[in-house]
Amino acid sequence: MKRLRIADLASRSAGLLVIALLLGGCVNATVDEMTYNEPVAGIGESSVVILGRRHAPDYDTEFDFIECIGDHIHRGDPSIEVINEIAFINQFYPWFEPRTAPMQPQTIDRLLQLPPVADRFAEMKLEYMIWIDGNTVDTESTGSMSCGIGPGVAGCFGFGTWGTESEYEATIWDFTDKVEVGRVSAVASGQSYMPAVVVPIPIIAPVQGTACDSLGDQLLEYLSAHH
Amino acid sequence: MGVASLASTTSDLEPSVFGRWLLLLCLTLLGAGCGSKQVIVEGNFPSPLLDPLPLTLGVIYPSAFAEHEFFDEAKGRAESDWLVKTGAAQVQFWDTLFDGMFASVVHIRDWETVERHRADIDGVLIPAIGELQYTVPTHTNVKIYEIWMRYEFRLVDISAIHQQEDGALTFNPDERLAVWPITAYGKTPTAFLQTDEEAVNLAAVVALRDAGAHFVTTFGATPDIALWLNTIATREQPAGTSSSMPETDSAPPTDTPVAVESAADITTTSLDEREPDERQPANASSANPAPSGETS
Repeated sequence: MKRLRIADLASRSAGLLVIALLLGGCVNATVDEMTYNEPVAGIGESSVVILGRRHAPDYDTEFDFIECIGDHIHRGDPSIEVINEIAFINQFYPWFEPRTAPMQPQTIDRLLQLPPVADRFAEMKLEYMIWIDGNTVDTESTGSMSCGIGPGVAGCFGFGTWGTESEYEATIWDFTDKVEVGRVSAVASGQSYMPAVVVPIPIIAPVQGTACDSLGDQLLEYLSAHH
Repeated sequence: MGVASLASTTSDLEPSVFGRWLLLLCLTLLGAGCGSKQVIVEGNFPSPLLDPLPLTLGVIYPSAFAEHEFFDEAKGRAESDWLVKTGAAQVQFWDTLFDGMFASVVHIRDWETVERHRADIDGVLIPAIGELQYTVPTHTNVKIYEIWMRYEFRLVDISAIHQQEDGALTFNPDERLAVWPITAYGKTPTAFLQTDEEAVNLAAVVALRDAGAHFVTTFGATPDIALWLNTIATREQPAGTSSSMPETDSAPPTDTPVAVESAADITTTSLDEREPDERQPANASSANPAPSGETS
């Protein structure tokens, strides 16, 4: 009788696992783009910096997301030099801290009145400054899971699921003309699952990664002459 | 027989050992929320990208500043005691900032230094931490670690620095050139594989950087400082001063008005000699003054 129950429970859990595997990992992404003055011949030997906005009270654009976008662009076109965000912020301290970072491209002129700042920008041959604003959050979660431990045995049974949403907007500033030349936004959402039959099996939807790829593709298309 | 006996012993021991480990695990899990957490703030701070102001600045770090720490006692079983030591990081950070911001910086630790540099020093800066508050996710249920600090900076003329009978330095608060507050805020979201201590450290580093940014961008705009800079500029023409501090278009966080006029402690009292309440509890109300000190 007991064996039957265990077999029944195991088969139900296996069924849930199959359903989860079929549904899991699905991510929906939407990308909007509005750009001007595309550099049709590419950016040559100039460089690009990608910076995250961190002035909002309730969220910060993640450093690893900015790094992901930079890596995506550089991988797609190795001729594009993407300056590391943290190195850039440190080199220009304190002018790109959340309190002091320029919010409009026109205000860069004020920064350039400082000779050391102007000199460093000239050294970098910076052509585009791309600001990314947004974040990834987990939304509603449902399900339950219980874990137990006893002499010689431990395990979990149950099922949990949660949603994840990413929303990012990239604003491209032409550093030479000090104007905004485009905005690209990416919204991605997905559902992750965690069935547990003795061992929990996380089936994570790569929501942030999809948003990174989507945004990175659009920015690469804008900046690169080969895409 | 001996083998059987050994096997029997082993068999008897196994559940016992397992039970002990299980008990230890349970106790660890039960006690996980009520331990004590200590953070000694550490970070690498960049030099500011500025043309240094052509000034010789004296700096006095009061002991309450250089050894600053705050202690917050747990209010429930789910919380932990927190001891966060920011003093060393404060000194490291402000040294880096002042060295990049002023042509020459003199650290005043004793009366000999005062006497030796009396003719060179344009002003003496005395920082103090008036208030510090922090939150961790267990306080707010928001997945953000935050630190907020309010500094009180005092600028005095070198002639206002006096020596007490015991050799300690003090100053007359009425002789100050300027006193102004600087607020700073740092936050860091919870991140995977980041401990509470690492997150609080990062929030403190962000707050220090923010304090520096606030200091640099408001220094020349503070009325009493502007007056002082003008006085020096007219005395030593030509001098480029506050023009190297452009305004920014991002709205800074609202500052808390400061009504505290107590003199900063510039004595060399050791940490052990200070009153217990100088270990500021976190979430202190805004009425908490700067660590009190001697008033001459």
